[in-house]
Amino acid sequence: MNLLLDFTQEISMFHRQSLHRVALCMAFVFIGATASTADSPLNIYVVNYPLKYFAERIGGPHVKVTFPVPADVDPVYWTPEVAEIGAYQQADLILLNGAGYAKWVGKVSLPRSRTIDTSREFKDRYLTVKETMTHSHGAKGKHAHEGPAFTTWLDLSLAAKQAEAVFGALARKRPQQKDTFMANFLSLKNDLLTLDSRIKSVVSNRNTVPMIFSHPVYEYLAKGYGLNGRSVHWEPDQEPSPGQITELSNVLEMHPAQWMIWEGPPITSATENLKTMGIRSAVFDPCGNVPPEGDFLSVMQRNVSNLEPIFR
Amino acid sequence: MDSLYLAYRYITYNRIKTVVLVACITLIAFLPFALQLLLDESERQLMSRAVSTPLIVGAKGSALDLVMNSLYFGNERPETISMEAANRIWDSGLAMAIPMYTRFQARGFPIVGTAMDYFDFRNLRVASGRPLAVLGECVVGARAAEELNLEPGDHLISSPESLFDLAGVYPLKMKVVGIFDRTHTADDLAVFVDLKTAWVIQGLGHGHQDVIQLKDPTLVLKRSESNVAATAKLYHYTEISEKNIDSFHFHGNTEVYPISAVIAVPTDEKSGTILQGRYLSKEETQQILRPANVIDGLLQNIFRIKNVLDAVVSVVALATIMAIILVFALSLRLRQREIQTIFKIGCSRLTIAKLLAAEILIIVSSSAALCGAMLMVVHQFTHDLVRMLFIG
Repeated sequence: MNLLLDFTQEISMFHRQSLHRVALCMAFVFIGATASTADSPLNIYVVNYPLKYFAERIGGPHVKVTFPVPADVDPVYWTPEVAEIGAYQQADLILLNGAGYAKWVGKVSLPRSRTIDTSREFKDRYLTVKETMTHSHGAKGKHAHEGPAFTTWLDLSLAAKQAEAVFGALARKRPQQKDTFMANFLSLKNDLLTLDSRIKSVVSNRNTVPMIFSHPVYEYLAKGYGLNGRSVHWEPDQEPSPGQITELSNVLEMHPAQWMIWEGPPITSATENLKTMGIRSAVFDPCGNVPPEGDFLSVMQRNVSNLEPIFR
Repeated sequence: MDSLYLAYRYITYNRIKTVVLVACITLIAFLPFALQLLLDESERQLMSRAVSTPLIVGAKGSALDLVMNSLYFGNERPETISMEAANRIWDSGLAMAIPMYTRFQARGFPIVGTAMDYFDFRNLRVASGRPLAVLGECVVGARAAEELNLEPGDHLISSPESLFDLAGVYPLKMKVVGIFDRTHTADDLAVFVDLKTAWVIQGLGHGHQDVIQLKDPTLVLKRSESNVAATAKLYHYTEISEKNIDSFHFHGNTEVYPISAVIAVPTDEKSGTILQGRYLSKEETQQILRPANVIDGLLQNIFRIKNVLDAVVSVVALATIMAIILVFALSLRLRQREIQTIFKIGCSRLTIAKLLAAEILIIVSSSAALCGAMLMVVHQFTHDLVRMLFIG
């Protein structure tokens, strides 16, 4: 009888140990799975480079930011393939610029619960482009700059607000990392607002000086810093046509500018043409796509340095 | 065994009487069971979906119409609200807002315009093909695909709202890009499109030839420096393809475009209560509902009707049983000479009783078998019957 009792106890002890082992394993698997979900970087898809920069600055190693637009394509007019739309749909977060930026967004299905319109908070400050003339950039097809202006980040105080929206979205997704995100965001905000103050101090001397914008993409820069600019449709990599020169001459009659602001370094023939008209060239890169060198901040710092001669 | 054989011979000889008796017993047993089956299924269908949908926001009016349209895509058409209603919920930060626009149909199946969040919310998985990606695509519920014989790559044309609406919008030829897994819910019978595609079906968004580039003078009504007015001859695209998608556009502010309801999924119970509180003012033009409460009210009414039906069936059953007893009693009287003969040839009274019992047993068993078969048939079609009878 005793032998039987011992045997039963041994069996039950064995079962208990096995159960403990199984429970321990399951706990490890569960903790491992939870930890790996919490530790794995957030998969973020963005529609332009400034948002990529903001997300990477704020998220640090806790985010993996994908910006699938090729380097030589303007993200505003880029259209993703179905597979790329699928990748956006699968992302943990989709950061949109808003204000009509990235036209394709209005024609695809994206999960709103994971999509953040970073400029929605200041939608009452959206600007519009008046020009409705169509034009083309090489073989990329005709387009028109009509409707809302979209390069919101060129007003760096608005860029700081967009960065704040990115911070809010990241903090909601990963509340455990909120303090890290907050510290990174404050550092980024400080950089953006310092630059914002610098532009204001640069332009404050002569902000009424007339200038020409080579493309209608500087509305927020002009509005934010009170610049006196008029837009034409010149491409930095294309020689201006006689029609474009006539158009510029007409503009100059009412708007005697001595500077033209370009999106990128213009070709020599264009600058020579402008020189004959008494116009000098300066580059202010909107930085919508990944710059060949440096980052968003360094490009903006260079832009401000390029503006300095105009307002001296 | 002999008694059963003799009883069997007797009832097959008196076929008409037997058939009438079996039919009476079958019907009287079938009715309450079938009713119960249908009610159980309706309760399952209605409640499971209602309970899994926390809150619905829609225009003030019939709560039942709003819930039935939003949850089961029924034919009821509640007043529309604008897309601002969904943005209002998003902006509150209290809940996830899933807009729904259920107004159009394609070959008899409802076209449900919604956002991608709906598919995550209802846990809808694509069985074949892929999810919605661009404007003009649709993903079809399992049963709708089966009945319409659709596969990814096929096309489905939206039905015009009225045959006599000559000035109405052109039907949209939608590309079927995926088929959902079967869920045994109303989602199986729906055609899902992006909300923007639903607005294209309505004519709020459209694509047409580039009016600036028009060469044909018959297409241009008036041309000025800033505006080109096209004639009615201007070709509008009836299918959204890779080639013409860029020409599709929406006029005006899409925030005021119509939707039929918003499913609100609060972040927690407290947020849900706060959200409900925001729709209480008298000036409010929208209502917020807990679908479970609305469906519960509907079921209470159905159960009340069921109680009346139960009472009627009970009285009819009692009358039928009494009639059957009468039939047997009269039958015994008619068979008096036959019973006397059986007795005289040496059968005991017990054998005669067995003989009669066997007859009753065969009739009742036949009725039970028939009733069982009929209930099995009903069980097979309860899903459709419930949709037809209670959901519409």
